[in-house]
Amino acid sequence: MSWDKIGIEDKLLSWHEIMEAEEYVYTVGVAGEEFFNGLKQKKIIGGKCPRCGRIYVPARLYCEECFVKNDFVEVTSRPYIDTYTVIYKDDEGNKLEKPQVIALIRFEGTHGGLLGYVEGEANIGKEVEILEYKIPLIVRVK
Amino acid sequence: MKTNLYFRRVAVIGAGLTLFRRRMLETPQELAWEAARKALDEAGLELKDIDCVVIGSAPDAFDGVHMKGEYLAHGSGGVRKMVSRVYVGGATGVMVPNTAWYHVASGLCEKVLAVAEEKMSPARPHPQSIFRYIWDPILEKPLNPNLIWIFAMEMHRYMHVNKITKEDIALVSVKNKKNALNNPYAQAAANITVDDVLKSEVLVWPVQLLDTSPVSDGAAAMVIVSEDVARRYTDTPVWIEGVGWTLDNTEWTGRELAYPRYLEYAARMAYKMAGVERPNKEIDVIEPYDPFDYKELHHIEGLMITKRGEAPKFLKEGVFDIDGEIPSSPSGGLLGVGNPIAAAGLMKVISIYWQLKGIAGKMQVKRPVHTGVAQAWGDLMQASTVIVMRN
Repeated sequence: MSWDKIGIEDKLLSWHEIMEAEEYVYTVGVAGEEFFNGLKQKKIIGGKCPRCGRIYVPARLYCEECFVKNDFVEVTSRPYIDTYTVIYKDDEGNKLEKPQVIALIRFEGTHGGLLGYVEGEANIGKEVEILEYKIPLIVRVK
Repeated sequence: MKTNLYFRRVAVIGAGLTLFRRRMLETPQELAWEAARKALDEAGLELKDIDCVVIGSAPDAFDGVHMKGEYLAHGSGGVRKMVSRVYVGGATGVMVPNTAWYHVASGLCEKVLAVAEEKMSPARPHPQSIFRYIWDPILEKPLNPNLIWIFAMEMHRYMHVNKITKEDIALVSVKNKKNALNNPYAQAAANITVDDVLKSEVLVWPVQLLDTSPVSDGAAAMVIVSEDVARRYTDTPVWIEGVGWTLDNTEWTGRELAYPRYLEYAARMAYKMAGVERPNKEIDVIEPYDPFDYKELHHIEGLMITKRGEAPKFLKEGVFDIDGEIPSSPSGGLLGVGNPIAAAGLMKVISIYWQLKGIAGKMQVKRPVHTGVAQAWGDLMQASTVIVMRN
């Protein structure tokens, strides 16, 4: 007896299966439409709570604290690196030609943030410039 | 006969629904928020007043997001609050207020926001494939069954044992789709005839297209509070007087499919708590779970409203019509309103709540009502949940 997980397939009583659904089609939602239409125009759209003033990035339909409907506003405050990490291998374990820096980009005075690929010397707190408005963002350290 | 157990009294003071539709633009979180917001508005509360959130949702795989309770938390007002997610398949919708009930009845919470959401449309080609792994992997999976298969077998067994015809059963679909014409949230309301049902496409004999409920997205929410709070916020609270739930053997092949015994046990639990001794005399309005038309009859019998095999007879006599003696599914049920699984079950509870509060609008039944029952059913045809409410 052994605890090996590898066996001789033919000699085992087992079934192999595919995953449940062939594919999923997700809707971006009411706030998502505002946000992605904003990206197309190189704008960051947030959702601002009319009661407490908190601005959610990306846009959210409602304030999770006050539970009222948000207004959609353009976010123009300074984007900066909140934290980052460096990826050396892809998800199959192959070494990348160049390490990839991935950062959590926040916008001053807002709640939430967006993930982005970073060009240049990343450092926590540093201001960035958005090069490409998409998911994930592509940013360059200023 | 009431039980000796000591509970705090629990009341419902608000409820909200979204439209039930296929392929809603809103994300699941946005749907949950819309229903929860409406429920808070009806109750006259704000989110800061709520001390606990109960979230109900059927398989994660419908919305295509794992940890759906956590995913729905901010849309359901659960951020940094005590949150429980409940899941008993199709029976989840009624388990949500049942869970909220014991949160309050036990003395743990004062004001609970109970939210149920389901988005059936993201999975392609059809959400039916999500049920692929509920089967026994060795004995049943090799046949590649889907749920309509086994419901067809249950329906056939029910028809055979009780000598019921397809015409008898089709009347449920006719009644519920007609009731749904009065429901502003309904997806599949229609004026149809028995003939339309019998001529609709055969899916899996004896189940035909108009015997079934549609694929839907939607959310529902309720505000459930202790007696002190209820008295402060409303003159007309609706009390949750009995709750019951049971789970049968997952080996459905071992059961007599013609009668839902596990539902009878759940109903007995709820009736005992509420002091209901003669369900057919004491209950004024019911919302039995009706994803398929025969299920409503099956469940009416399980709820002991009629004897076994006699529900079709009373249906034909008009007892279950909206102006009948015991109106059944006055909302239009899943057949008429739609079937976003967990939300559909909670919609049935909300329907009873609105009926008992007298604010059901065009859905309001003709006779005065004081005791109502809602019920849901699910898993591998093995789970049932029952709630008894009074005004």
